[in-house]
Formats: sequence, C-alpha cells, structure tokens
Amino acid sequence: MAMAAIGGRLRRRPPKYSAAALAWKGLRGESWPRVWRDCDLKSSYDAVVIGGGVHGLATAYYLARNHGMTNVAVLDKAYLGSGGSGRNTAIVRSNYLTPEGVAFYDRSVHLYEQMAVELNINVMFSQRGHLTLAHSDASLRTMHWRAEVNKLGGVNSSVIGPDEIKQECPSLDTSDHPRYPIQGALYHPPGGVVRHDAVVWGYARAADHMGVEMHQKTEVTDILCEGGDGPDGKGAGGRVTGVRTNRGDISTPIVINCTAGWASLISTMAGVRLPITTHPLQAAVTEPVKMFLPTVVVSGSLHVYVSQTDRGELVFGASVDPYANYSVRGSLEFTEGLAGHVLELMPGVSRMRILRQWSGLCDMTPDYSPVMGFTPVDGFLVDVGWGTYGFKAAPVSGEQMAEAAATGRTPKLIEAFALSRFDNGELVGEKGAASVGH
Amino acid sequence: MTMSRQGVQPTEVIDRAAKLRFRWNGKRFSGFEGDTIASALAASGEQIFSRSMKYHRPRGILTADYWDPNLMVQVGDDPNVRAGHRLLESGMDVRSQNAWPSLNRDIKAVNGLLGRFLTAGFYYKTFMRPQWLWPTYERVLATFAPGGKIDLDTPHAYHDKRYTHPDVVVAGAGPAGIEAALAASSAGASVMLVSHEHSVGGHLRYSSAAADQAALAELRTALDASDVEVLTDSTVTGRYEDNWLGIVQRNHPVAVERLIKARAKTLVAAPGLIERPYVFEGNDRPGVITSGAARRLVNLWGVKPGERAVVFSANAEGDAAVADLERVGTEIAAVIDGRTGGSISSTRGSSRAVDAVVADGASIGADLLVVAAGWTAPTSLLNMAGDRPVYDPAAARFFPSDPPSNVLATGGLAGDADLDGLRQHGAATGRLAASRAAAVRHRLQARTARALPVDGDEPAWAPDERAPLGRDPHPELYRADTHGMVDMSEDISSKDLVAAAHEGYDSVELAKRYTTATMGPSQGKLETVNTVAAIAEARGETISEVGTTVWRPPYAPVTLGALAGRMFEPVRVSSIHPWHEANNVSVIQAGQWLRPDHYGDPAAEVRNVRRNVGLIDVTPLGKLDLRGPDVPKLLSLLYVNKWMKLGVGRVRYGMMCAEDGVVLDDGVTGRLGEDHYMMSTTSSGAGGVWEWVENWLQTERPDWQVHVTPVTTAYASINVAGPKSRELMSRVCAGVDLDAEAFPYMTVRQATVAGVAGCFMWRIGFTGELSFELHAPAGHGLRVWEALMDSGSDLGVAPFGLEAQRIMRLEKGHFIVGQDTDGLTLGPSTGTGSLIKLDKDDFAGKPELAWAADRSLPLVVAIQPDDPDVVPEEAAQIVRGDTNEILGRITSSRYSPTLNRSICLGQVEPDLAAGGTKVTVLLESGERIGATVIDHHAHFDPAGERLRG
Repeated sequence: MAMAAIGGRLRRRPPKYSAAALAWKGLRGESWPRVWRDCDLKSSYDAVVIGGGVHGLATAYYLARNHGMTNVAVLDKAYLGSGGSGRNTAIVRSNYLTPEGVAFYDRSVHLYEQMAVELNINVMFSQRGHLTLAHSDASLRTMHWRAEVNKLGGVNSSVIGPDEIKQECPSLDTSDHPRYPIQGALYHPPGGVVRHDAVVWGYARAADHMGVEMHQKTEVTDILCEGGDGPDGKGAGGRVTGVRTNRGDISTPIVINCTAGWASLISTMAGVRLPITTHPLQAAVTEPVKMFLPTVVVSGSLHVYVSQTDRGELVFGASVDPYANYSVRGSLEFTEGLAGHVLELMPGVSRMRILRQWSGLCDMTPDYSPVMGFTPVDGFLVDVGWGTYGFKAAPVSGEQMAEAAATGRTPKLIEAFALSRFDNGELVGEKGAASVGH
Repeated sequence: MTMSRQGVQPTEVIDRAAKLRFRWNGKRFSGFEGDTIASALAASGEQIFSRSMKYHRPRGILTADYWDPNLMVQVGDDPNVRAGHRLLESGMDVRSQNAWPSLNRDIKAVNGLLGRFLTAGFYYKTFMRPQWLWPTYERVLATFAPGGKIDLDTPHAYHDKRYTHPDVVVAGAGPAGIEAALAASSAGASVMLVSHEHSVGGHLRYSSAAADQAALAELRTALDASDVEVLTDSTVTGRYEDNWLGIVQRNHPVAVERLIKARAKTLVAAPGLIERPYVFEGNDRPGVITSGAARRLVNLWGVKPGERAVVFSANAEGDAAVADLERVGTEIAAVIDGRTGGSISSTRGSSRAVDAVVADGASIGADLLVVAAGWTAPTSLLNMAGDRPVYDPAAARFFPSDPPSNVLATGGLAGDADLDGLRQHGAATGRLAASRAAAVRHRLQARTARALPVDGDEPAWAPDERAPLGRDPHPELYRADTHGMVDMSEDISSKDLVAAAHEGYDSVELAKRYTTATMGPSQGKLETVNTVAAIAEARGETISEVGTTVWRPPYAPVTLGALAGRMFEPVRVSSIHPWHEANNVSVIQAGQWLRPDHYGDPAAEVRNVRRNVGLIDVTPLGKLDLRGPDVPKLLSLLYVNKWMKLGVGRVRYGMMCAEDGVVLDDGVTGRLGEDHYMMSTTSSGAGGVWEWVENWLQTERPDWQVHVTPVTTAYASINVAGPKSRELMSRVCAGVDLDAEAFPYMTVRQATVAGVAGCFMWRIGFTGELSFELHAPAGHGLRVWEALMDSGSDLGVAPFGLEAQRIMRLEKGHFIVGQDTDGLTLGPSTGTGSLIKLDKDDFAGKPELAWAADRSLPLVVAIQPDDPDVVPEEAAQIVRGDTNEILGRITSSRYSPTLNRSICLGQVEPDLAAGGTKVTVLLESGERIGATVIDHHAHFDPAGERLRG
C-alpha cells in the first residue's frame, strides 16, 4: 500500500479494513487489533507534537509518510480528538474569499476526497453541496465576490437564486414571508461534511502503523529551552530542548504546538507570545428524524450553520461567543438564538427537539487566519489560530507543517500565515468568509 | 406477554368514564383519560411499539416512562414523541417510526442475521472502494436514520417564554422534593416546584402501600395549601452560570411548549433515581421490563403486564413489583434474587413467550420478565453546576461530590432512607435552601441602587448541618454472564463495547464516539452506567477508575419552537413611511428597516436632484447624542482625525478604524453646543458603533465624562438636495440664516422648520449637490416632509430613494463602508489617507495604521469602462490581462444618468491606482473588458463647486 511504499519504514503489517475482512472476522468471530498501540513514554523523540487532535495527528502522519520521520510522539492531555476535533460541526469546503484561502482549502478538500482510501478508514466525506445564504443586498454582493474569486481559483462555486435554492434544498423557506427572505446563495457543490472522529482515528491509526506513538492523558506542563532572551532560556533567539509532562521529561529538538484553544498558553511555555484570544464556540444537535435536509446550509446574517447527519440528527453551530473564556459549558441563550434562526430558515422543524449542546474552544487571531510555521524559538513550531475553521484545514495543515518541521523551510502555501505578519502588518483577511464561515 | 386492563386500582390515574379514541398505525384504538399513549396501547394488548435502529428488532415497553427508548412514536406531525409519557388525547394519530412495511413485519429485520458483521463502527471499515460508489452507500445508510418524520408545513406555533426570579427552585417532586419546597416556602422563600411527571409524588404515585398513599395525600394537601408554585409535566433542562435555569413546561394550556427562564437563588436537585436495565442476552425482547415499569403499569393505569412472570429482583422495588403483580393476578413463575447471587443469563421464546434462562441453564416458561437490577443517579444538573459525582461500589451508583453551595441535592440522588428519612432530609434541604436564598436576596438588594433599602446585615451563609442520608448496599449488577443490549436506542450491545475497548477505544469518551452508545434520544439516562461498566470490564478496571461521561444540557430534550419563542425582529419604518406608501414607493429591506428604494424611475430622480431639488428620507442614519466635557477626547480616540478644536456650530467628517486599522464606519459629527455633540454613523453601522463607543467608554475610559444616548429613531432625518434646496429651505425655516456665508458648508444650525421646534440641520452632501440634512423630532417628521413637498411644488421638488442616492454618491465617488471597503481595507486604502493623523496621542487602530503608512496598499479608485454602455457587476474581478491573477475588483457600479455612461468604484493593487491606468475587468459572463482608472474618485464635479454653493 501507498504508505508502505513511500514511508518505507512500516513497522508492522497494518490490518486492513475492508468488507471482505469484516466478513471474514465476522464469520470467525475474531476481534480487530488495537487501532493504535499503547506505548511507554520514551525519554527522547525526533519530534514531539503537542495536541492529539486532527492537526497534531495529521502533522505526525505526514512527518512519517512524506518525510520518513517516525520517531515522533503525539501528546494529548485527555484522549485523542477530545478538543475541537470532536466538537466541530465537520463541514468541509473551499469557497473562501481570498486567493490564498481558496488555494489552501482547495488542497484540503482534495486531501479529504482521497482520505478514505489513503488512510483505509471510511471518513464518510459526504460532498452533498454547501449553500451560504444571502438575506441582503450586501451579503449577496459578497457571495458574488466569493464566487468570482473561487472560479478564478478553479473551485466550483456560483451564486444561485431562490428558485434554484429550493431545488437543491426543498426544506428551506425561500418565500418572501420570513423576516429576512433568502435572496440568493453561494452554492458550492463539492462542500460537505465528514465524520470528524473517523478523521482523528484514521490519522492516528495510519501514523501508528508507521511507528508514531500516541500518548493520551499526557499533559505538557512546560517546554524546555536554552539560549533564549527570556527566563530559563526561553524566548526569542533560543532553541527547544524538550518538553516536561505529567509522565516525565522528554528531550526533543522539535516541538510542534497544535493545541487550538490552549495554543497561547502552550506557546507561553516556550516564551513565545501569540496574538490569540480563546473564545468558546457552541454547537448543538437534535434528535434524529428521517432525512429531509440534503445540503449543508449556512446563513451568515442569521449566524447559523446546519446539516443533517446520516443518523438523521440536525447539527447546528453559530459564531463564537463574544467574550474570551476557557469554559466549555454551553449557554441557554445560545440554544434560544440558534432555534430562532433555524426556524427562520425552516419553520417546519419547530417540533424537533434539541438533544444536546456543547462547546469547544477557538483560538482567534486578529485577522481570522491561522498562525503556521516557525517562531523566534528555534525548533518550536506553531499550527494554531485556527479559530472556527480548523477542522476543514487539518489535512493540508498537517502536510505543510510536516514539511516545515522536516525541511526547516516554510512551504509556499503557508507563507502568508507566518507569525511574523503581526510584526509587519501583512495580515491575511478571511473575516468576510469566515466570521460565521462554515 | 399479553398485557390487559384490570379492575380499578386504588392508585390509578385514569378516568374510566372518559373514553378516548385514537389511531395507532391507522387502526382504531381506545384508552382512558389519564392514560399515556403507551399504557392505552398496552391495555389493548399491543406488544411491539418500535423497531430498533440497526437490526430492526421488535421492541416493547421497557420502563413505561419518559426515558423509555422503545416508545418513540410519531403523533401527527410531531416526531419522536415519548409514548411512555405523553398523555393520550382524543383523535390522536399515532404511528410507529422505524418500521417498513409494518411494525410486525419489518423487512430490515434481516439485518439481525448480519449482526456479527455489523459490529459497532463497521461502517468505518468498509464502503471505501470504489470511491464513486460512496454517495450510493451513503444514501442507503441514511435510510437507517431512526426517528420520526418532519412535516415541513408545520407552522411555528405560539411559544412565548416566561422569565422569573424565584428564591428556590426544586427540580423533582418526589417526597423529598415536595418537603423541600414546603419547608422553603414556610421559611418565607418564593418557591417553584418542578415535576417532570404529570403529577407530584415521585415513586409514591405508583406504590400501593397504604402508608405511601397516606403520605402522598398528606403532601399533596400541604402543597395545595402552600404558596409553592407547582409546575407539572415540566423539566429543569439546564443549570447555567449563577443558577440560571431553563425549564420546559410541556403542559401549558396555550403554548405548545413553554420555556421558562428562571434565576433561582438556590436550586434543589431532587430528580430521584432512574432504574437501570440489566444487560443479558435477549434483554431487549418485548416482555422484558423494569420493575418500575411493572409497578407503573399496574398501579397508575390498571394494566396487567403479563400472565406469568419471572422477577429478577435485587432490591425492595423489585420485591414490591412481585406484590403488585400478584395483586392483579399475574402468576409469579419464579423470583430470582440478585442479592443472593441469583442471575438471569438469557431469554428464549418466540412471539408472546419470554422464557427466562437462569444461571444453571434451566429455562423458566413465562411471558413477562421483570428486572430490578439497580439505579442510575441522574446527576445531570449537578454536572452542569461543575460537580464531578463519585461512584460508590457498595451502593452501586454515583453520588454528588462537591456541588456549589447554591445547589443542594436531596432525595435518592443524595442517598437512601425510609420515607420519613427522605422527607426529613428534604425538609432540612428546603430550610437550608431558603436560608441561603435569603442571604443572596439581601446581597442583591443591598447592591442594587434603586431597590428598597434592606434592614440589617447580610444573613450569614447557613452551614450545611443536614443529617446526611445513608447509602443502602446494593449489588453491582450491570451485566450477567452473557452479552446483551446496553443502548437500546442505538442497538449497541455490551459485546460491541468490549470489542471497541479492545480495539483501543478504551476510554468512555472514545468508546461512546466509536460505538455511539449513550448518544441516542435518552442521552445516557438508562445506559451510561452500563456503558461504563462494560468498558471497565474490558479494561480490567473499576467503574471509579473509568469514570463517567459528561452529562450536558438539556436534561430532557426541548423543542426548537420553545427555545425560539416568539420571533422578535421588529420591522422598522420612519415616521414618514405612510407618505412613501401613498406615493408608489418601492421599498428595500436594509437590516431591520424598510426604506424607499425608488418611486418609479431612479434615473429621473437623479436628474431632478441635479436640476431642481429632491428629498430623501434618511431616518435610519445612525445618530448618537453625546454630552459632556470629555466628548472631544472620545471623538479623538475613535476617529482617525483630529477633534479637539471643533468649534460650536461646526461639522466634521470622520472615519473610524478598528484596532486592526480596518475601516469600521464613517460619518459626520457636529458640535451643537459647548458640551453637546451629535454623531452620525452609517445606517447599517448604527447599532455596532453605539456598542463600539460604549465599549471604549465603559471598559477603557470609565473616567471620562461622556453620556451617550442613541437617538437614531428620535429624529426623522431628511436630506434636501439640489440647486434649489436653499430656496426650498428658506420657505419653511425660521430662526436661521440660510445664506451661504452665514451657514456655510460643513456647519450645523438649530432651527424651527415648518413650525417644528428642536430641529437641527447640517450642510453636507453625499449626493454632491447643495444640500441640507435636516433632523426633526421623529413625531413631526411627516409634517416637516409634507411641508417641504407642498412648499416646493413650483421648484420641482420630488422625492428620491436609496437607488438614486447610490447613483449620485457614486457619481461623486463617495465610498460606502462595507461595500467599497471590506474586512481588510485599512484606512489609507480608502484614498482619504490624509485624514489619518498619526501625530495624535493615541487612537483606535493607530499602531496598525502607522505600519500601513510605510506600505503600499490596495486603493479604492474610480474606474470607467471603455465601453460606456457596459456596467460590470459589483464583484467583477480586475485581472492581469488574460490570466487568472487577481489585481482588484469592482466594488460599486451603476449607469450614470448624469454622465450617460457606466461608472465604477473599485479596489486595485497600488501600482494600478494612478489615473489613466488601463485595467482588465472580468465580467461574470467570462468576458474581459477594458477600463480606465480616473484621476479623482469623483466622476462628476470633482472640484465640488455644486456642493459648496
């Protein structure tokens, strides 16, 4: 298989998933081997990735797959996928506003399309189409703008009117009765949803097969540095020597911070300040009903995005809470606002019941764009600032971060996202596409 | 199993005189008032109520209450109705949800044969190739989605909300909860008692013991005589910060379902205990029910659950079920005692038989198997309050650990005792809750400036001196020596969970996500502990070591309708709107406002303003009344230009940037008096700028003396524009000299207009014409407008709308924030860079703008297509020649009736910004056209002579 050929360092033959294997094991009553190993923590690795979410795991996977670096540990203070990776609404799309954003996410969609086969796990990428609704002249103008930029970037995206919207998604109220009637939509056929946990497990399993170690319940309490201009050798001009964890110290020349909501706290351990504030982002899910919502629907004006899972539940999200906070308790007002907005779009679902609400932490940057690559501390890399849209970027981020860490050079695709842009004012702008961008 | 209605029971809640007819899967049935849908169907002998999600196994009654996962039905257009809880109503159209072609013969039941292949998570391991078939696979998988059907024509019915501030809310109305409510009320607290069930009493409701019934009667009498507000068929769904509670009331006489938002000073959690199912082979067969279900069926609805029963009992409730069954004539084939090592390992049988197989392999013939295997503590509200309940293996359930001191647990959640003991603990809890609520009330009142003064010192925070409840020993019964269903809603067996754990999904959260156990409609109420037990077993650990999942809100599901409540998005119109409507206006929706877009012919409206005089209603223009000595400092902080020396009567244009230097808003601010200013904002920015101003004042400069009042709707605003505007104004204004020298461009004057005092007007001009922007007290707006129309008929006065204004501002090259700028447009990019005064002390966005000053930025420029008849779309991209490289875009475009050509504003890369530069515009059609950047933003009258006239 591909990873064996490319990585060349396959540690053991992976038990391949397939219908035939399911049938065989079912007949013989055999169980499946562990999806990833339980390893003892070693005292030294070639690279340590902090954060066992999709970004961290994808980075580790590509380090092994594309660069042959397999002596790598992924550390997570809880369990794999316990942060934003398991709390997001799993929407994937590439209809961004800036040419940089379009190119970046187009690569990500491409990697998602191949993921099931490449990782040999069904991540259920359902490219069911993505509608971003416009309820005003102004937002319709932005949709046109996005469509034009998308087309120039080779992305399938166009503005459609209420009649076509009704065809694609009959459950939407496209009449002129709602308070803010739907005037049009940006339609993005390749957009869709993925089974987010499967992406986490798929990367972990594939990385594990190549020798990467996953360490859960392993919390990083400090990052060890030398030569920096701050206390304990941290800070600009220094270099990373290792990390301290609740299970002991590890020495390593490369530490990659993929910790989303905790990104600024972890970076501070290396003496690197990030322009990041952490905000909760809430989501909710309803009881299942038979399928009626064929596409992903987003309304920026109404601050809501919604899709129906293959299990029949509606999954909702909104914009981040306006205050900075590390708490992941939900609020009642969130569900109220959400319900009001959803009923504006689809009055017929008023009898559906909210089953569960939750929230995750988003690492917000001033320009709504990520911070990727090198920092003033040698060997300390960041893949953070993903705000509300980290999940959809995970494959390409992992691929690019792995390249940066392995080669010591910033790949072109992420040049625009360097931390240094906050020192020279070269901000990237995805506010328009990402303020409720799902 | 054959259930049937029996003779009258002393505790029953049905009214046998009131017969209700309804339909079940199209067939006629009947029940009595007080029946649930399920009890009426059971009394009629129905055994199968649903089909399971994956294997489509037949499912019957399990718990006969709200949490019964097998009793989800469709009632009319209402999906996923809990038939174990929803009261029967006459004429109900009830249907099963997850079966085809019928409940008794379901074709997908064939999946049961494939069970060994369809292990938990099987779908992650297959359907990967060929990739192009995945959409087809997905469609097939989606047909397995459980649940009812949505009728998209269901209206969003009446759902108003209620807000309340009780001292004490008691969640749960069993004996302890009722005593807590009564005691708190006696102590002077206002109390709300919330009962999940249709009547108060908790487990006493279905106890036939005389002492229990006497206690229930006594408690109900006491409640009736008390001031406690009792909500039945209602649930405290969530506890948020500071005891902010969501309560859903399902039996409101008017609202379909009502959300009550309560700020409780103390919360008493008394939800009782939920009986948990036992895991063994065949535990989901119809006819296997919990002891609580047996007792409810017999005592509440007079339904005999079966003819011959095996009872597996590990506690007193199970023993009581034996007595209840015997009373209604169910033959007890065997009682297997779980306390002394007895066990059930499987069930056998077909159709109506449920033969129980016990540990030694013997099979006992029966048609009913009643199981009393223990309890789950619904610690949900405590979890939401931050508590981490701890597991006690001796009692085989979780107990509260350390909830915040304004959340108190009582009843079964807190421990065990006899009825008197529970009541005493409840009463003690109620007194403590009332005392602490009084302290909170005192504190709140003392801190609220306008509240009545409070007497004395704040009462001390009462210590918790309640005698703790005991913990009855209970065997740790989770799984027998066989595997069975753990999560009935999701069809997840203990075997699935053990396999998942062995596969590496060995923490509760991972196993939950991988198998979907506990993710279904009952959200773990019945299955969480059994799930944890299965994982613990697979890991060789204890339940304490494995821990539990986090219970998240809501405790019971809430309809979107109740959460949404009434749509409260007012439609805003100006006081002049009736005139527009009477004069063929075409309106446009702009945020909440309806505004005149045009009155038939926008081009003619433009020509009339350029030639004569026109009126536009600009009431939605944001207006903030600013008073105080520190207003100039505030203006200097928020605008990029200077404000310290603006004289009285002067008006200045200002641009605001956010902290990242991006243009936020613009508008003029005038100085009406010594310490009195009026700030105008864009219409769409009115709300946001107000928040922005308040945010800076309240969080950064609370020391400044500035009082901000949003007065957008207090004034009707009319722009009078055109060469004849001065003449028109002179006919209606009094007390002001309109002469160009006395009232020059960029000044403000107060005046009486059309007899209306208190008007002010400033000379500015978005249209590029001589114009007066007049602000009259809103109530008189229509009168002023009509006076202007009447007085100017010989001058050719005519109204104009937003479209004409947009054309004219584009002719003049005025940019619109949010249209010609975007989320990344820095201040200098607007072409008004000279406005930005970096030598000012500090202002919002200064550091970013200082950086920007040294860089070349994209610029807003005026562009004219070479073909004057082509109007590019507002989004058309400016590209490099025949390539796809983006160099800018058209942000505004119109056909100018003044210049008889197409005109645009756009943003371009800095090297394209010079006048005369040729650019290529890519139209949406794909055609590329040539266009030229012009010298000034203004396509028309660049010198501004008309404006200043």
